[in-house]
Amino acid sequence: MSTVTFKNIKKSYDDLVIIKDFSLDIDNGEFVSFLGPSGCGKTTCLRMVSGLETNTAGSISIDDDVVSDPQNKIFVPPEKRHVGMVFQSYAVWPHMNVFDNIAYPLKVKGYNKSEIADRVREIVSIVELTGLEKRMPDALSGGQQQRVALARGLVMKPKVLLLDEPLSNLDAKLREKMRGDIRKIQQDFGITCIYVTHDQIEAFTMSDKIVIMNHGDIIQMGSPSDIRNNPINDFVADFIKTQH
Amino acid sequence: MDLIKRVLFSKRMILGGGLFLLFVFCLYPFLTLFFKIVFPQGGFTLQHFEKVLNSKSTMVAFKNTLWVSVGTCLMSTFMALPLSWLLTRTNIPMRDKWRSWFCLPYAIPPYIGAIAWIYLTNPSNGILNSVFGEGFFNIYTNSGLIWVMGSFFYTFILLSLLAALDRMDPSLEEAARLSGASPIRVFFQITVPIIFPSLMSGILLVLLASAASFGVPAMIGNPAGIYLLTTKIYTLQKMGSMNGIFMAGALSILLLVLATLVLIINQRILSKNSFKTVSGKTSRPSLIDLGSLKTPLSIGLAILFVILFVMPLGGITITALSKIQGKFELSNFGFQNFTRVFFETDETPRALMNSFNLAFIAATATTLMGLILGYINKKTKLKGRSAIEILASLPYSTPGTVLALAFILTFSAGVMGIPIRLYNTLGLIVIAYFAKYLNFSLRTTSDGFGQIDDCLAEASRVSGATWWISMKTIWFPLMKPALMASWFLVFMPAFSELTMTILLTGPGLETLGTLIFQLQEYGDASGGGAAVLALLTVIAVGLINGFVKFISKGKYGL
Repeated sequence: MSTVTFKNIKKSYDDLVIIKDFSLDIDNGEFVSFLGPSGCGKTTCLRMVSGLETNTAGSISIDDDVVSDPQNKIFVPPEKRHVGMVFQSYAVWPHMNVFDNIAYPLKVKGYNKSEIADRVREIVSIVELTGLEKRMPDALSGGQQQRVALARGLVMKPKVLLLDEPLSNLDAKLREKMRGDIRKIQQDFGITCIYVTHDQIEAFTMSDKIVIMNHGDIIQMGSPSDIRNNPINDFVADFIKTQH
Repeated sequence: MDLIKRVLFSKRMILGGGLFLLFVFCLYPFLTLFFKIVFPQGGFTLQHFEKVLNSKSTMVAFKNTLWVSVGTCLMSTFMALPLSWLLTRTNIPMRDKWRSWFCLPYAIPPYIGAIAWIYLTNPSNGILNSVFGEGFFNIYTNSGLIWVMGSFFYTFILLSLLAALDRMDPSLEEAARLSGASPIRVFFQITVPIIFPSLMSGILLVLLASAASFGVPAMIGNPAGIYLLTTKIYTLQKMGSMNGIFMAGALSILLLVLATLVLIINQRILSKNSFKTVSGKTSRPSLIDLGSLKTPLSIGLAILFVILFVMPLGGITITALSKIQGKFELSNFGFQNFTRVFFETDETPRALMNSFNLAFIAATATTLMGLILGYINKKTKLKGRSAIEILASLPYSTPGTVLALAFILTFSAGVMGIPIRLYNTLGLIVIAYFAKYLNFSLRTTSDGFGQIDDCLAEASRVSGATWWISMKTIWFPLMKPALMASWFLVFMPAFSELTMTILLTGPGLETLGTLIFQLQEYGDASGGGAAVLALLTVIAVGLINGFVKFISKGKYGL
């Protein structure tokens, strides 16, 4: 359980400004969604928390530790940040079976064999993959691969779990079930989550807090009911309506 | 009239005709080679194989080929693997420039490198030895052979790895970083296993290329008494006796079997282990920050580049400009060698003319053939079209020495019963180029057709055009970039071809490749002549490559 703090984040490639001025506090155990049309900068913000992108200015902290602050030349590389991430493409390693995929973060951190086996068994049952440990990824369905990715992100008990449009490659029915499952697992673990999506149903049904973004700016943030009842402008009203 | 036209231009007729030509030029010569060796006087015999297998010198050549090829593979892998990582996954400065520079040797004939390294490191008056002391380096050794081949063939692995690394879903590696693994650990535990099929495929290509290489072993191996299978076949064939031809043929079949084995293994690896990776949105992959290693690694790249490229090129340039070799005074430099090579002999103009004509005809013929076969291959569902790729790839993957020998045995007296004497004519050389390089054209055009949506031509068919008219008015204009690329991709290697030409050539049939070879081997004792032509070849290759890259907007070329 951890907090995440963005302070005046900017991001640009040469002349192209991606993020203008992004500040946000995320509480312990909070489920926050970044919602917006494609190209609004939501994925970039998420990837900056993991260290896969670097901010050009401002600072990012996880708990009280600054993980990125270019002015003070602070940058903690991704492998030292202890955050979990679930990718849109699943990113399940095709040359490892389910068990090895999920166990990898523990192996890298040097856990002993019996501890690895225990923790993998526990997480496998939580994501409902028991019995599939020896399967290779190409023998899994998309939904199952997504569960492997989720288990791999959770197994090392990360400070924060980052989810980058994790459900967009699944069919509608499966997506609905996964929404409930992810939210339940998040609450059971009490883990802080940042969830990137362009699907407002996902954002509204799963989140404690929604951050609506457009063109690299935060347009509005608040609880789902706040936003639904008081959209700040036409863009927000339109965006949360269009997909119904 | 209309009916005849419709039958003649029907797709089936064209496929049939194409397959017939492919059979004649791509399969029939190998069958002939085999039958002439196994049934020399009508009766079955293995005596030529026995002779070859019992000869001590051919067994030594066999062993040498194996060692040199394996050594070249090792050197190539050790160079290509770290390079591919550095050039795709890190924020090394000038990434794209380094990328195309390190791939460039792919387009240069390796025998140019052999000449360059002889100038640099021959034991008596090599340029480097005049710095480090006489005999410090000796190119005429097994390791010299491996060094020169490796410094060219690493590009096979590099290109294969770069393509695989670009294709790979970046989140596979990002997920490992977030699991706590360092960049180096990610590379060995995630990246390498996933690109392993491409790595193996590149390594096997190098194995094949080194076993088939002729120019480098002839120029560096022969003076040292190190014979490989290709140079052994050449020597046997040049003996001129029927017995020599038979021995060369038997040895060729062994080399062919070796090459086929390698290709079969390659196919199995590729079909068994190719991982399909679901790719999500194409996020730009996060580059690994090299931090304080940036400068030392950049310097390392620069040094490697100087050794692989600048030094050999410098060696050729110095040699080409030196009036007397081994004298480093300003007064010793001038364009004397250039005038001598170009204006005081009629061999050079003739060789350039021959090479240009041969390459021009071969490039035009393969591109036309590629256009038609590529269309049938990609845009029709005709039965038998899958045979196109298989047949066209046969001569391409056959060692040039073997191909040339098969062509001599098959077509010397004529093609398909038409009694034209082809032996000792440019005709035999041009059909050998055609067969060898058809695969380049076919792949480029198939690729081009694959990228054009069918509905464009369907729209023209619906408008009332026959398929032949839509070919002319729709496909041909849209295919222009691919066709130009195909033409130059054949023209470039054909213009400086050596391996096949040296066996097929005769008096008055010099080409650029054979002239350079002869100047280096026998004629020009001072070495200047070969250097002049080698230098021009490199410049021509560079210019053509730049041009291809420009017209195809970076899609083809290096």
